[in-house]
Amino acid sequence: MEEQPKKWRWGKFRWILLAVIIIQIFVSRWVPPMMPNIQVAPEVVTTWNGFGITNTLIATLIADVVVLLIAFAVYRKARSGDLVPRGITGVVEGIIEMIYNQTEQTAGKWAKLIFPWFATITLLVLVANWMELLPGVDSFGVFNKEHLVHSLEVKGIHNPEEEIAQKCQLNEIYHGVISVTGAKECAKTIVPFVRVASTDLNFTAALALISVFMTQVIGVKAQGIKYFTKYFNTSTLWTKPAFGTIDFLVGILEIISEFSKILSFSFRLFGNIFAGSVLLFVIGALVPVFVQSGMLVFEFAIGMIQAIVFGMLTMVFMTMATQGHGSEEHHS
Amino acid sequence: MNVDAAKLIGAGLSMIGTIGAGVGIGLVVSGAVQGMARNPGYSGNLLTNMILGIAFCEAMAIYCLVIAFLILFVF
Repeated sequence: MEEQPKKWRWGKFRWILLAVIIIQIFVSRWVPPMMPNIQVAPEVVTTWNGFGITNTLIATLIADVVVLLIAFAVYRKARSGDLVPRGITGVVEGIIEMIYNQTEQTAGKWAKLIFPWFATITLLVLVANWMELLPGVDSFGVFNKEHLVHSLEVKGIHNPEEEIAQKCQLNEIYHGVISVTGAKECAKTIVPFVRVASTDLNFTAALALISVFMTQVIGVKAQGIKYFTKYFNTSTLWTKPAFGTIDFLVGILEIISEFSKILSFSFRLFGNIFAGSVLLFVIGALVPVFVQSGMLVFEFAIGMIQAIVFGMLTMVFMTMATQGHGSEEHHS
Repeated sequence: MNVDAAKLIGAGLSMIGTIGAGVGIGLVVSGAVQGMARNPGYSGNLLTNMILGIAFCEAMAIYCLVIAFLILFVF
């Protein structure tokens, strides 16, 4: 019996897909999707010893745990002596090898020092960004009375408390998870349990601060105290006053550029991912069927690219810090 | 003119900056595609650099978007 090349056949999954699409159409007719309540600041979900735990903090912790679990799984597999990486070990090995090769190409002998920062930032941001693709993130939460009161007050309603009591059956849903079929006004203003970590400016600014600060540390490690002549360049100030002054001013500009690095790092990641998650919900509200799937693929790519860009820029800046002021050696 | 109208107009105006990002992405991709056409063997490396360059250009547009969001939803 000759072996036939296996033909591609549509299995039973097409019927499941079709059913899901049809159900989606009917559900979106029955419960029309609504425009999301867009808010830049993260919401406080619970307080713990007077310390407000925001929903983005929860997402950050989840991302940390996921990265740690992957690390432990790969560690155990690697210790077991199996030389051929399979499954998740193979994927992680591929990613790590790619990152290491990139670092070695750029940084040369300092690769071992710079690689952990590149890899850590990339993996953490990657996991944090891809969380926005999961259903339930950003959309599953508790009803927030304060938001609703505030939004009704803005609209000019005099006694919002009564209005809420009438519209939302407050007693039933105030502490519970809100049902999808709740009144429109109530469903709009939920506080999600988990919101994507990168949509919080605190997360991205913290990463940017770590990245820029460690750049200075690696610069000092590589060049010693000479590293700071990049900022206070007095080497030619006395011998050649005209050019020396310009060099000194360039050093001041370097200081400013370090601070602008923090800003651009944090706003790049924040803006991309925040815009992405808003886009997902707005598109979902406008066209509930099909189109959001395309947007999910788009956001998948954006999340990956932004994670790689964040890590790679950190790596490039660190590499630049390890190399001395190139023109200085020609001068002297 | 009330504040809401001013907010909407301001958010719209702040998105003008995306013109620059569009031009920048166009330039980056045109350069990269020319390079790939002349030297197809190098295209993998060029693609990575192109995506990096696009990300930088896009960041400018995203700053505008952040400002627009801030105007609309924070102030």
